[in-house]
Amino acid sequence: MLSRDEPRGTRGKNRGADRLGSEGRMHFNTRLLHGKAVKKYGDGATLPAVAQVNAFAYDSAEELDRVFHHRAMGFAYSRVANPTVAAFEQRISEMERGNGAVALNSGMTAISLSLLNFLCAGDEVIASCGLYGGSLDLFDDLAKFGITTRFAREMTPEAVEPLVTERTRVIFGEVIGNPSLRVMDISAMAAFAHERGIPLIVDSTTATPFLVNPLELGADVVVHSTTKYINGSGNAMGGVVIDASRFPWDFQKTPALEKFRAYGKAAYLIRLRTDVSENMGGIMSPVSAFLNVVGLETLGLRMREICQNAEKLSKALDEAFPDLDVNYPLLGRSPYAGIAREQLGGMGGGILTFRAGSREKAFAIINDLRYAVRATSIGDTRTLVIHPESTLYIHSDAGEKEAAGVYEDTVRVSVGIEDADDLIEDFTEAIRKNRG
Amino acid sequence: MVITVAGEQKEVPEGTTVAGLIALEKVDNPEYVSVSVNEDFVDREDFETRALAEKDVVEFLYFMGGGR
Repeated sequence: MLSRDEPRGTRGKNRGADRLGSEGRMHFNTRLLHGKAVKKYGDGATLPAVAQVNAFAYDSAEELDRVFHHRAMGFAYSRVANPTVAAFEQRISEMERGNGAVALNSGMTAISLSLLNFLCAGDEVIASCGLYGGSLDLFDDLAKFGITTRFAREMTPEAVEPLVTERTRVIFGEVIGNPSLRVMDISAMAAFAHERGIPLIVDSTTATPFLVNPLELGADVVVHSTTKYINGSGNAMGGVVIDASRFPWDFQKTPALEKFRAYGKAAYLIRLRTDVSENMGGIMSPVSAFLNVVGLETLGLRMREICQNAEKLSKALDEAFPDLDVNYPLLGRSPYAGIAREQLGGMGGGILTFRAGSREKAFAIINDLRYAVRATSIGDTRTLVIHPESTLYIHSDAGEKEAAGVYEDTVRVSVGIEDADDLIEDFTEAIRKNRG
Repeated sequence: MVITVAGEQKEVPEGTTVAGLIALEKVDNPEYVSVSVNEDFVDREDFETRALAEKDVVEFLYFMGGGR
């Protein structure tokens, strides 16, 4: 399942939405449906069957022996690998231009295993302090195992440089911060990290391969919570780790990968596949993999609509309520407008935030919305709204909240595919009613 | 020249490459196979150019899961 990585693109050429496929002809939506990873499934089915089984039977002990020793192509046990899950892995790996992928049962499992795959006690991580609250909690948990995280206020070379030590083993950041909405310059951070012999892992959940392929900009590993935009309909939890198999691992610095030295640059992927995900568990369920394949096929359509809606809504609210402090990467005053336009193909993602003026006003606005659903998560077809300070960040201290752009009056909106005019009317009425 | 393929000694023409051996051996699902030569894995991009040598030990391996 290993194959050659492709040359890195340049920043301006990497846009998932418009970039041509490896065959030089297919654009994004066509590649989703007709790419190399789209197989001829059994009986002419246009989607992979759901192999909802635990174990796979063989005619002889010899055959099973060969499968267990990787000398024959086949599946043995669904905790390790499963045909439906593999079908999803192949398709998302192709869309991210990866060398291989491992699909897991949640985005947090994906992030956890992407790190535990090579970190040891005593190692240090550098992460952006404005991460999703669940990721911040994870780094707090990793500290109990002797893995220290140093947080950078911004994911920029200037902000990260003072944090680099002899023990730094990885730089981790979000492409579009959730809900900080800071946009990482992936090329700059990859160059910075590689000059210091450090791999760069990025969480691209909020960007999706439609906006950017981080591996083409130099990131070494990309993780997604597939629960969000990739699934798209809010009906299957999942996560995925996609490896470029390009980083030249120093096995003295990463002894956890030493046993896999023979695989060279694929050591990370092979350990994740055959050791860490197998032993720690957490593989995606076949049903979730099937639903994620179905969701993936409309990713381009949904993301285009979602991003257009989010841009229209943020601009409408910003114009109607200049003191609302609307935050969206494409707003002219956003310090990330330039890099978003350049790196994300002119799109800003599907999330925006605003400040209501007080916690009470935030709650009142949320409660008065007609179309937006009051629920956690992002990336659904329907617009979701939440008060992050009292929900997503309940385990974070004041400093962490501020760094993430989360205040007591912050409202986060995950924009859906409803008609933009309806969303604008809904939010405008609720805000006008409750802010005066 | 004689090499060892999946534990069996085989006679193959001088200059046989990894890609050539995959074809010669009619390896199952060649798009998914990983190849090690003397316990070192060969990058897929090098399959066409990596020439095998006398006494090389070659294994064809499959890691089920996703990849291109």
